[in-house]
Amino acid sequence: MSSQRTKAPQARFRKRDLFYLAPLWFISLIAPDPYLYRKKEFRKKDLFYLAAICLAPWIWSDPHFHHLMVLAGIYAILSLGLSLFMGYAGQISLGHAAFFGIGAYTTAILTTRYAVPAFLAFWTSALSAALIAYLIGRPILKMKGYFLALATLGFGEIFLVIVRESPNLTGGVVGIFGIPWFSVLGVSFDTYLKQYYLTWGVLTGLFIFSKNLVRSRVGRALLAVAASEDAASSVGICVSRRKLGVFVLSALFAGWAGSLFACIMSTANPEAFGLGFTILIVMMVILGGMGNLYGPIAGAILLTGLTDILSKYQEYSLPLYSIILILLLIFFPDGLGTRLNVRIIYLIGYWAKKRKREGGKP
Amino acid sequence: MLLLSIEEIVKEYDGVRALNRVSLKVDQGRIKGLIGPNGAGKSTLFHLISGMEKPNSGKIYFKGKNITAMESHERAVLGIGRTFQTLQIWGNMTVVENVMAGMDRRLKGGLFSCGLWLPRVRRSEEEALKEAKEILDSLGLLGKWESMASQLPYGKQKLLELGRALSMKPDLLLLDEPASGLTLTEIDQLSQLILKVRQGGVTIFIVEHHMGMVMEIADEIVVLHNGERIAEGTPDFVRKDPQVVEAYLTRHHEEPSRR
Repeated sequence: MSSQRTKAPQARFRKRDLFYLAPLWFISLIAPDPYLYRKKEFRKKDLFYLAAICLAPWIWSDPHFHHLMVLAGIYAILSLGLSLFMGYAGQISLGHAAFFGIGAYTTAILTTRYAVPAFLAFWTSALSAALIAYLIGRPILKMKGYFLALATLGFGEIFLVIVRESPNLTGGVVGIFGIPWFSVLGVSFDTYLKQYYLTWGVLTGLFIFSKNLVRSRVGRALLAVAASEDAASSVGICVSRRKLGVFVLSALFAGWAGSLFACIMSTANPEAFGLGFTILIVMMVILGGMGNLYGPIAGAILLTGLTDILSKYQEYSLPLYSIILILLLIFFPDGLGTRLNVRIIYLIGYWAKKRKREGGKP
Repeated sequence: MLLLSIEEIVKEYDGVRALNRVSLKVDQGRIKGLIGPNGAGKSTLFHLISGMEKPNSGKIYFKGKNITAMESHERAVLGIGRTFQTLQIWGNMTVVENVMAGMDRRLKGGLFSCGLWLPRVRRSEEEALKEAKEILDSLGLLGKWESMASQLPYGKQKLLELGRALSMKPDLLLLDEPASGLTLTEIDQLSQLILKVRQGGVTIFIVEHHMGMVMEIADEIVVLHNGERIAEGTPDFVRKDPQVVEAYLTRHHEEPSRR
């Protein structure tokens, strides 16, 4: 027994192990740190992400991939804002599709009816979404939990009804067609590649903004409001002001996303902004990981990609989609963004231990 | 100098009078204790002072200003800090962030200037971090400054909550049963800490069931019983008051005499 112990090293590294370790190492490089949400300042890894974003369309030069990533980028802008409201301030909103819709319709109406330049419409859309968020946020943010969820859900439905029932303004059920490409300073974003850089550029800017927000006093105040409103107000944080602020901010993000969506899809119709879309966005935030800014982006890419892959299977796509979502929610309840690395480290540890046990056996 | 004065305050819950025309005054730079049997209305009084609840009638003055109608965050900005009977730290933040969030009223920057990370925001954040670390150092929590607040043991969480209240540099600090759930050594440390805080010029108003501690550190003690003030004075005076003895004896609860 003793001779065996000296003879057999407990866990010797074999060449074959590299084969297992390499993909794990690669995932751990891409995936956010397990506790990244604790350390909120910018790190070297962010530069890696930025480089990956810049290079991705050149590595996969398939236009279909570019188009998917454009959509993912737009959804990521929307879910980034929603994640500030849900993941950080701890509130619920099922009405963000409406702010997205307000952004899209403002752009659609301004550019097709009044020939307003797209760049100007881009800003007007965001501001109008924010203004409406301010007006409805004042009364409904006094509610909490399920009541807030219902109120925002109601707002979303009201928006849809208004859109459907006012054909003169919004084109009714048919919607608005022929929205011109987004253009600024004479540069027209008419290819998928250009649109990719447009959306991901906007996303990067908003991400930096959100990240700064999260690591400042505002971010702390939001987390404080989520954990205990009494304690937050006991140190002088105005709970209602912070909630309203972040609600308006997330609507601003949604407005921008909606405006880009309208320019890129060149249509706006009410079917795109229904309850299903709201659920999709909320799923992106939850799957990506609450209280983590990398999460919603990961969630947006994942769900957009998933929908595209599953669309091959036609009638089976919806059941498959829901099964995958349920499995993801079971195995990653905190979201991919927050737990992926924990799981990977756990797996590596488990694998090493197993190897050790097997190596120790005679 | 008079810091806080409560006049004829009444608070009813569904017709039950939790506080019946209670008046009291807290002078600057003192440690005032508030004791009473369970259900005497102590925590209610604290909620009324910090603004978590509003009184049915009566007035509250702080620094000579009528604050009866103010919201609790406005009162906090004026300089009323508090801790809670049931621990209320923010478990979703790190230890140092808890303290920095406590400083919120002294920091600069709105939604947009924070998002753009303007130089003045950066400067104020850096200063806040430095100060928060100093506060944690004085509490002996600096070793854990980066761990999540929810992962601290209970005693340390209590300390952290106190640290958070201190970080807002209050003029009046309301402590709602700070010693509950602590070990005897921890209670001793807490008493020393409270005395040190008072030396820094903070007025302290403390509700405590642990008689040994409150008798030791308080300059004056108020006794509430069934929503009414039944005695007020130095610890020795209160201990001998026949009404106080009766209130505690009839309830068979704590005895206000010894540890």
